[in-house]
Amino acid sequence: MATSPKQRTPKKTKALATRPPVDPEQRVVAVTGAYSYIGAELCKRLERDRRYYKVLAIDVRKPTFPLGKTQYHRVDLTNPTADDELATIFAREGVDTVVHAAYLSAPTHASAWAHELESIGTMHVLNATAECRVPKLVVWSQTVVYGAHPANPNFLTEEHELRGDKARARFVRDKVEAERQVRRFRKENAETCVTVLRTAPTLGPTIRNFTTRFFARPVAPILMGFDPLMQLVHERDVTDAFVLAVDGTFPGEFNIVGDGVLPYTTILAMMGKVPIPMPHFIAYPISQALWATQIFDSPPNFLDFLRFLCVADGAKAKRVMGWKPRYDIKATIADFLGVRDSQHEPAAPRAAATGGV
Amino acid sequence: MATKTVLGDDPFGDGEAPAEKPADKAAAKAEKAEKAEKAAPKKTAKPKKAAKADATTSAPEPVPEPEPESAEPEPAPTPVAASASAAAPAPEPEPLPPPPPPSARRAVTSDDHEYGPSIDRPEAARHSGLLDDVRDLERTVKDRLRGDGSEPRGEHGGERQHLPLEFVWKRWRQIAMRDRSDVVDEFGRDPTVAARFEPLLDFLYSRYFRVSTRGMGHIPDTGRALIVSNHSGTLPYDGAMIMHAVRREHSARRDVRPLVEDFVFHFPYLGTLMNRIGGVRACPENAERLLQSDQLVAVFPEGIKGIGKLFGERYRLQRFGRGGFVKLALSCDAPIIPTAVVGAEEIHPMLSKITWLTKSIGVPYIPVTPTFPALGPLGLIPLPTKWFIAFGEPLYFNTEYGPEGASDRILVNKLAEQVRTRIQEMLDELLKERKSVLFG
Repeated sequence: MATSPKQRTPKKTKALATRPPVDPEQRVVAVTGAYSYIGAELCKRLERDRRYYKVLAIDVRKPTFPLGKTQYHRVDLTNPTADDELATIFAREGVDTVVHAAYLSAPTHASAWAHELESIGTMHVLNATAECRVPKLVVWSQTVVYGAHPANPNFLTEEHELRGDKARARFVRDKVEAERQVRRFRKENAETCVTVLRTAPTLGPTIRNFTTRFFARPVAPILMGFDPLMQLVHERDVTDAFVLAVDGTFPGEFNIVGDGVLPYTTILAMMGKVPIPMPHFIAYPISQALWATQIFDSPPNFLDFLRFLCVADGAKAKRVMGWKPRYDIKATIADFLGVRDSQHEPAAPRAAATGGV
Repeated sequence: MATKTVLGDDPFGDGEAPAEKPADKAAAKAEKAEKAEKAAPKKTAKPKKAAKADATTSAPEPVPEPEPESAEPEPAPTPVAASASAAAPAPEPEPLPPPPPPSARRAVTSDDHEYGPSIDRPEAARHSGLLDDVRDLERTVKDRLRGDGSEPRGEHGGERQHLPLEFVWKRWRQIAMRDRSDVVDEFGRDPTVAARFEPLLDFLYSRYFRVSTRGMGHIPDTGRALIVSNHSGTLPYDGAMIMHAVRREHSARRDVRPLVEDFVFHFPYLGTLMNRIGGVRACPENAERLLQSDQLVAVFPEGIKGIGKLFGERYRLQRFGRGGFVKLALSCDAPIIPTAVVGAEEIHPMLSKITWLTKSIGVPYIPVTPTFPALGPLGLIPLPTKWFIAFGEPLYFNTEYGPEGASDRILVNKLAEQVRTRIQEMLDELLKERKSVLFG
């Protein structure tokens, strides 16, 4: 069963022929970053779908959900030979769809490692995908790659240039680099259907990422005089988008964003956060110092997102993929808070009994 | 316009939701059973800890808090139940009936507690031993210190922390939301903020500048149109007045979205304020989106050159940009309504402007008026001139040139010049009629 890289070479051109003898309609999906929220949720959804014969969960940590037809493979994408390992697995299992979701959902101080994982890791996945001629590739990206910029239009379409790397934020720059590689890959491998899903900041009751951590604190900074519009997307809508992308054939980039926008301070008010106003020319150095001393987990350039617009247009995903967000921005916030109704009042029986205050 | 974006009314009201309900309830029950099982050892351990907690609080609760999920009966399908089932994935083309495994990461119990569905117990809670006991104790003490104990903190994975006191949190949110609305339109116009500024605009419109309008009938009651106007006055009061004039005097009370120069959005406060009361950053993408949704858009093609005119150059129209507005009108099939504003040139008679080092603070120039740097902030008060706004006959180029005309640069420039000439004529006409700057 275990094929060495040398034996694999003749097989790779007929990768699909080596698939196990089952219903030819059934599919085999490989998910990198299967321990992450998106990876795990996607695996769980595919697990329940009879059209998928097998799901390969690829990560450095074993997923915690029960593995039925999901097979766990430990591949470290920062490993120099990760592409070879992946290609071996893809060819052996007859993978027809690769979902690349092994990206960081929050910035880290280990920036060298983050670069290896996001930029070089993407290279490995693309190499393996190209070598095995996998017909479909789905890549996770985020709308932060557009960058917050005062000259952004109110709604950034998928064609807009990626300016996120101009901000010198490592977290964003690695993602932009990864996207550029994917774009190049798409030009060189026309037969592979490449779908890039750029998700807006994602909130939800179970997901853990930079946004949830930011909004979990009781206080939040605001830059005096700046109050950009923001958009959010619910974790379940993101999962839906990934399932749709794996199901269908939708080449191109898609913004996965929830309906509606709200000013940043309104979001804070809805969440009951205590805003800390500060002038931007003071906030940047403070943030720089907190980041450099590793007290705070947000790089200084992230303040741009509290200052300028970075809102994407989700019309293409709705039109082409038929994706429809079930949560608008208010419902997303309500669900994140765990508030019962959409009126943003906690339906607290205790508070009601004491007159609601 | 704002009514178009009705958000949050019934976000869970998808037709597909109820189909998943039975499976979900089964999952919920399984989850409940599991929780009750886990809760049992905790309860037995509690009295001991309560005794310890006595040392820190004067009023300990004699009985341990009943777990809400085990105390309450399963409720009838409420909106929350719907939300919980909407949580389930959309039905697949070939759905498999078995419910999600009970150990799924998300506990979809509708009757969890007041904060609705939440994350299930962290892995650590399953371990037994001293460490676990210490943690449990810590949690209990914290709960007691918090006073209300309405929310068992341990149930949360940690992301859903609120301010400690529930009612304080609630009140705070009420206060914070008081002067803003929870729905803004897609370009950021906040109806509550706009309504708050309405009296001020009204005062400026009817008392201060005593605006008189003509040709209001040229603005269509429905459908898209591009209001093209001259620009003047150092600060963009003219955009606000055109917006207010149409909202006040037009038969359909339409909202105008003025396109505002970039530099305003670099300014703290000013950009945000303009955005909340209806201004939109001037760029082709925004204008196109507004016109495609059949709105009235006001553009000032002179841009910064217009509001930065010196007093000596007043009412002499500058170059109309690169004719972007004509391209827009052609490609979006919108009529152009030439508009002349008289009176705005004199509110801040600019004698000279300082451009030295101003780029570094993000402003195109610093105006020098008879009052401005000399009187400090008082110099920002505009002169109470008498204003006239004239809306001209719509110019509709599409019957002649069609949308493909937008790519013909020479044609675009020619048409832009035509519009400019028309507005200059209207200005001259109004100026001829005007007898006094302050009294009209």
